Formats: sequence, C-alpha cells, structure tokens
Amino acid sequence: MVATSQAHRWGTLRRREQALRWTARAVGLLIVAALLARAVSVSISENYPLTFWVSQLVNGLVLGGVYALVALGYTLVYGILLMINFAHGEVMMVGGVAGFFGLQIASSLGWLSGATAALGLLFVLLVGMVVAALTGVTLERVAYRPLRGAPRLVPLISAIGASLFLQYSVLLIFGVRPMSYQRPALIADGVRLGPVFVPYTGLIIFITSLLLMGALVAIVQYTRLGRAMRAVATDKEAAALMGVDVNQVIAFTFLLGSALAGAAGVMLGFHNSVIKFNSGFIPGLKAFTAAVLGGIGNIPGAMVGALVLGIAESIGPSALGIPAEYRDIIAFSVLVLVLIFRPAGLLGEVAVEKRA
Amino acid sequence: MSAALSGLRTGAILFAVLAYLILAGLPARLGDASALLFAILASGLFALTWGRQRSEQSLPDLLLRGIVGGLTLSVLVALLMGGMAGLIASGARVQTVLDKMTPPAIAAWFGVPPVAITRGELEAAAVLRTWLVLAAAGPLSSLLAFGWQHRRAIEQADLEQVRRWLARLLPFALLGMVIALGDPAVTIGGNQRGTLRLLLAMFSVVAGLVAWRTARSGREQVILGALLLAGLASLPFSLDQFQNSVMGIVFIFVMMGLGLNIVVGYAGLLDLGYVAFFAIGAYIYAFLSAPFSSPWFSQQLAQWGLPTNQPLLSFWQAIPPIMVLAAFGGVLLGTPVLRLRGDYLAIVTLGFGEIVRLFMLNLADLTNGPRGLLNIAPPTIFGYDLGNPRDIFILALVGSGLIAFVSLRLERSRLGRAWVAIREDEEAAQAMGIHLVRAKLLAFAIGATFAGLAGQLYAARQVNIFPDNFTLFVSIDALALLIVGGMGSIPGVVLGALALKGLPEVLRGVDEYRIVAFAALLVIMMIAKPEGILPAQRTKAELGEA
Repeated sequence: MVATSQAHRWGTLRRREQALRWTARAVGLLIVAALLARAVSVSISENYPLTFWVSQLVNGLVLGGVYALVALGYTLVYGILLMINFAHGEVMMVGGVAGFFGLQIASSLGWLSGATAALGLLFVLLVGMVVAALTGVTLERVAYRPLRGAPRLVPLISAIGASLFLQYSVLLIFGVRPMSYQRPALIADGVRLGPVFVPYTGLIIFITSLLLMGALVAIVQYTRLGRAMRAVATDKEAAALMGVDVNQVIAFTFLLGSALAGAAGVMLGFHNSVIKFNSGFIPGLKAFTAAVLGGIGNIPGAMVGALVLGIAESIGPSALGIPAEYRDIIAFSVLVLVLIFRPAGLLGEVAVEKRA
Repeated sequence: MSAALSGLRTGAILFAVLAYLILAGLPARLGDASALLFAILASGLFALTWGRQRSEQSLPDLLLRGIVGGLTLSVLVALLMGGMAGLIASGARVQTVLDKMTPPAIAAWFGVPPVAITRGELEAAAVLRTWLVLAAAGPLSSLLAFGWQHRRAIEQADLEQVRRWLARLLPFALLGMVIALGDPAVTIGGNQRGTLRLLLAMFSVVAGLVAWRTARSGREQVILGALLLAGLASLPFSLDQFQNSVMGIVFIFVMMGLGLNIVVGYAGLLDLGYVAFFAIGAYIYAFLSAPFSSPWFSQQLAQWGLPTNQPLLSFWQAIPPIMVLAAFGGVLLGTPVLRLRGDYLAIVTLGFGEIVRLFMLNLADLTNGPRGLLNIAPPTIFGYDLGNPRDIFILALVGSGLIAFVSLRLERSRLGRAWVAIREDEEAAQAMGIHLVRAKLLAFAIGATFAGLAGQLYAARQVNIFPDNFTLFVSIDALALLIVGGMGSIPGVVLGALALKGLPEVLRGVDEYRIVAFAALLVIMMIAKPEGILPAQRTKAELGEA
C-alpha cells in the first residue's frame, strides 16, 4: 500500500517536471516565433536593398570570427577546469594593447611598407599573441591555481578581481589615451565582391581566425599535449594516474586559449581602429555568450555559436527595427534566453549538471 | 646552493611586483620616501614568503637567501629606474607610452630635484643610496623570517582575558577621541584633524563590531549591544557635514550589502546584477517624488489635470510601493534563473543588470536618458527637512539597523536554515523537503526589497540620479564588501562597507588606485582568507576544517 502510494507520488512528480519542461519549451518557441514574425514584417515594411543585408552579413561574419577566437578560450578552460575564466576578455585586451606597441615598433622600423609589409603585420599579431599567452599563464598561476578544489564561488570571485585588476592596471600604466591602430597601406583598402564592399581588414580577420581555429583543432586532436588535454578534461585523477602532468596541461590550455585571445585583441584593434583599457569587457561577455550558445566545453560549438551571435548582432537591430544602440541588449538577451531554454547550447550534449 | 636559487627566484618575483607599483606611478605619490617605503614593503614580502614555509631553515641559510634575493631585486630595480632616467635624459618621450613615468616621478625615486633627471645630471651617490636601501631589505627580511619561524618560543602566557576587556573598552575610547577632537580646545591642524576624526569614527565602529563578538552569553550581548548602540547613535551629532555625508554613503551600502548578504551569503545565489534592484528603488522614488523631470510622467500628469510641480508621494508614503515593486522585480528576475547555478547564474544576473541599465539609458521618454532625473525631494518629518548629510546618515543608520535586525531573525528562522541548506547542497536540501522554488524566490525578493530601500535613500541623498550611478561596479562593490567582511556575516558587511566605501573617501589621494587595490584584494582574500575578516560563525567552522 505504502509502496504504491510512493510510486504514485513519484509519477506525479515526474509528470509535473515534464509539464514544466514542455511549458518552458513552448514559451521559448513562442518567443522565437514572435521575433521571426517581427523580423519578417519589418523587412517587408522597411524594404532595405539586398546589398545592405549582404554587407551586414559580412560584418557579422567578421565580428563572429573575432568572437570565435575568444570563445574558444572560454570553452577550453571550461572543458578542463569547469570554471568560467571571467578575465579572459581582459587577456584579449592585453593582447590588443601589446599589438598596438608591436605596431608602433614595426612602423618605426619601417617594416610595414614595401615588400616586408605582410611580415610586419605577422609580427604585430605574434606580439599580441605572445604577450596575451604570458598574461594568461601568469593569471592561472597567480589567481586560479591556488584555488583549485575550493568551492565554486571562490575562483569566480578571484576571476572578477583579476579582470578588474588587468583593466585598471592598463589604465594606470598606459594612461587614459585610447591607443589608435593606424592601418598600414597594405590593408587600408578593400575589395569589391559584386556590389558589396569588403575591407581587407575584415577579409584578413576572417581568414586568419579560420586558420587559427584550424590550428587549434589540429593541436587538440593530433598532438601528444592535445591528447593529454582531452584526458584531463575527461577525468583529472585518472589522467594524473596515467602519468599526465595535470598542472602543466592546465597551464598549456591557458596558453593556447590566451594566445588565440591575443590574436583576437589585435584583430579587434584593426577592426575598431582603437583599443582601450575596457575594450575587452563587453566583447569578452559576448564571446562567453557565443561559447554558451554553442554549448560550453564544445570546440565546434564555440565557433558556430560565435558566428551565429556575430550575425545576430549585426543584422538584428535592423531586422527587428530597433535602434542600433540596443545591439548589446541583443547579445545579453540571447545569453539569458539560451541559458534558460537550452542550457546545453546548440551543439551541446553535455548536461549542465555535470559538475566537479 | 638551493637557498641561493630560491633567493634569486623570490627576488625576481618581487621585482615584478615592485616594477608594477613603480609603473603604476606610486613613487610620484610617495615622494622622497619612496625608496625607503619600497624597501620596507619588499622586506615584508620577503619575510612573508620565507617565514611561512613549513620547514625551518638555519639562520645562515636564510641569510644567504636574503642577500641573494635583495641583490637580485635591487639590481633589477636599479636597472629599470636607471634605464628610465637614461631614456628621459636622452630626450625620449617615455610618458607617451608609460603614462606615469614622468621626470618628477623618477626624481622622487632617487630623491633628487626633477631638473637633475631631465638634464641627465643624476649623481652616482643617489643611485647608490637607493640601491643600498633596497639591497638591505633582503638580509633584514631573513632576520624577520627567522623571528617569525621561532615566534612560538617568544609568545607569552595566555592574555585572552585582558585582551577581551581591552577589545570591549576600545570602541568607547575611540568615540571619546572623536568627540574630544571636535572640541576646538584640542588643536591638531585644520584639515588633517577632520580626516583623523573621520578615521577614528570608522575605527570606533569597527572596534564596536569586534567588541560585540567578545560577548559570551546572551545577557552580555544585550548589555554590550545597548552600550554600543548608544555610542553609535552619538556619532552623527559629533561629526561635521562632510564626515556625515561619507558615513551616510557607507551605511547606504551597508543596507544594500545586507540585502545581497541574504541572496549570496545565506542562499548562495551569486547575483552580479544586484544593482538592478538598487536602481529600481532609486528610479521609482525619483518618479514618485519628481515626476516633473520625466517627460512621459509630466505629460501624463498634465493629461489627468494633476499639479506637475510637486511630488506625488512623500518619502514615507513611497516606502511601501517601492518595497512591493522591488520585491516583484526580484521575483521577476528570479523566476527564469531558478534552474541555474553558480557561475551561470552570475553571468545571467550580470546580463540582467546591464539590460536594466541600458534600458534606463535608452528609454529617454521615461527616464530622461543620460540627463537623469533631477530635483528629487528629501524626506521630511513634521515639516522638518531631513535632506542634510547628518539626517541622511541617521536614516541610513536606522535603516541598516532595521535590516540587520530582520536579517538576524531570518538567519535563524526555518527559512534561513533552508537557505543555508540550499547553499550547501541543492539536491540534498530538496530531498529533505525544502521547497526550492519558494525559498529561492523569497531570497531574491527579500534581497531586492532591501536594495530597493537603499536605492530610495540613495536617490534622496543624491537629489539628482543618472544611469551612470548604477553600473556593474555598484554590484561588484557590494559583492566585494561582502567578501572582505565575510559572507553571511552581518558585522562583516559593516566592516566591508567601511573598508571599501569609507576608506577611499578618507584617503582621497589614492582614489586612482582604489579599483586596482581592491581588485588585488579580492584575489588575495580568496587565496589567503576566503571566509573574510569578520566571518560568520558557521562559515568559519566550515572553511576552518577544510
């Protein structure tokens, strides 16, 4: 008798939970449908030319490429440590600042004109990547490693502290003047693809970010260290027992993620023509959104999520007929909606509940 | 050999720290004493690194480390500063890259007039002096570390009883000094005397908190608590306008911190968008008391034929609607995030906070956009205007007292214990029959209510409010004060607010370094003392055993 009533109760509970889940899905679908309807009605009434949409799409792809590089850093670290490296956006900013100084050096040495121009640009990119990688590794060593195994709130707060520290240290040391990236003659122009004008910077950013992502996937899939990374992500203790140096692998993960972020910082510098002490914060949040959108911990997911977000952000305001100032709201709303309705992300199969 | 290597390593790491401080412009602030102060800092850090190591070292070993470490550090710093001086003397424009590396800053480091740097007439004696001062820090710190490692032997008999009575007397002694300093018969030069008084007032509050914790029994708590409250009540009347206004903002943050304490400290829901509720309280009070400064509201008033130049509700009448609306906001933002935990929750709430601010910035019709809402009415009582800093401070004190009382009662209630259970293990709490949805939403709603009230008082204090008053940094400030004081600890909130909101006001000169300093503090606290300075008994027990 008791047993049956227990079983009955569990059944009710399960049914209630299922009902809740279906309600959530229904609400999510309704929201998506409403947004689509709005977009269709606006695009009919506003009647923008097709070239406008295509150039917005190109813009979105470029932005998405930059976000993807940063999002990969979040995803790599989350995959291994199950923690959000809140200061990752600032690592990107530090890369951008370093790239600015690299650019000054390169242009004062005359590397950016004539035959060596491409090599000069590569030098700028490398400076950004190396400095960002060093920053990321130091960050891990100082602010995160001592806290491994602490309650989850503790490293997060430490990360917030590190993020503020990096931002305001750059402000203190280099002053408030924004650092403006002058585009060298080689990439100042653009190319006309049919009716759409694509600046070289956009083209280079997109191609470089694809190349870097390819390199990352190759490292993770085919090298010894990449195998160690995957092992540590699956099970830290077991990997340690198999002779993997867990600390070294984690440091290497930070190195990889931060180098990509550094590259993104330099690209963002060229894209926006300026880098400031707080340039990393909002892009960092958006890249995090992208990582969550694709399913955090999932490498292809980060890339897909970033491209989707980049496009949503550049097309969204005009498609929904709202002022362009609301583009930040779009990114935040995407983040909130994804976390509420599909916390595992677009490509994620890992349940959010998987916890250390 | 290993000692020498360790000295080399520590010296290099400390060089990174000192180089950071130098590049951040500290020598310019400290003036001629900077080399000496840096040496003291360095020896403290050296001693801390070596003294805390588990294995005890022999004195010669420590000395070797100290000498090598001091030499490494001082040579590297000398190279850095000498290089800067050389660059400036050669006419390079260092300041365009490194903002703080001005000739006066470098001159201050070497203790010479700035002209000597620009002309390149830096004497060898000055270089040698600063180098020697810094190099001496190494061996000095070895002695300190040696003493630290052998402190057990030095420590005296049990002084606890004496210490406890001293702790109880201290706040009253400090209060006495605050009052005495207000008397013109006591002379300590004009401006500095005010600063000293403000500092003493803050320390007396902190000392009071420490004293309260020494109470052992319930009766002791009541007597001591009553005495301390009486002392606290005398503060607003013995401080001047500026001091009162600083203490007012500190206690408004105490109100807010106590609210956040319920959400984060008790229920363990890390909310980074807490400023949203603070803003909601402030804006609703602004709409109710200054509807004429919002274009949409004044239009509505005119349509309904209501007078457009006076408040709709007074400060006191506005309290209930603000509490209800803030609580509603808490439930509204809390419902969608019920399933999220930890860092996900933090990011989503951060997003919410930013969305609220962006709306305030962009809904210009309603909120007047970045131009803000102006001429918010002060609270009044029987026709007497309570807008001056002293009365705001009293109101903030009363508000914090009430909120602290409610928090204290909640902490030990069924609901409070349910929150702690959720914080520790959500599944286990649910299995024990705790209604997760109800408990979490109540935490969000109660926390939001307190923040709303703090926001109302803040709006009344500021008179004019702008979206820029409600950035993410307010949330982070509130969180940081919780962490510094100790999560879940009511005295900790007061201490944290005094340390993070009060001290920077006193030490005006270091305002530039405020954010960096407390960012570093967050990281250091998490590593060294994650339970906070005045931890709650419960967290102390939990983290103590780990």
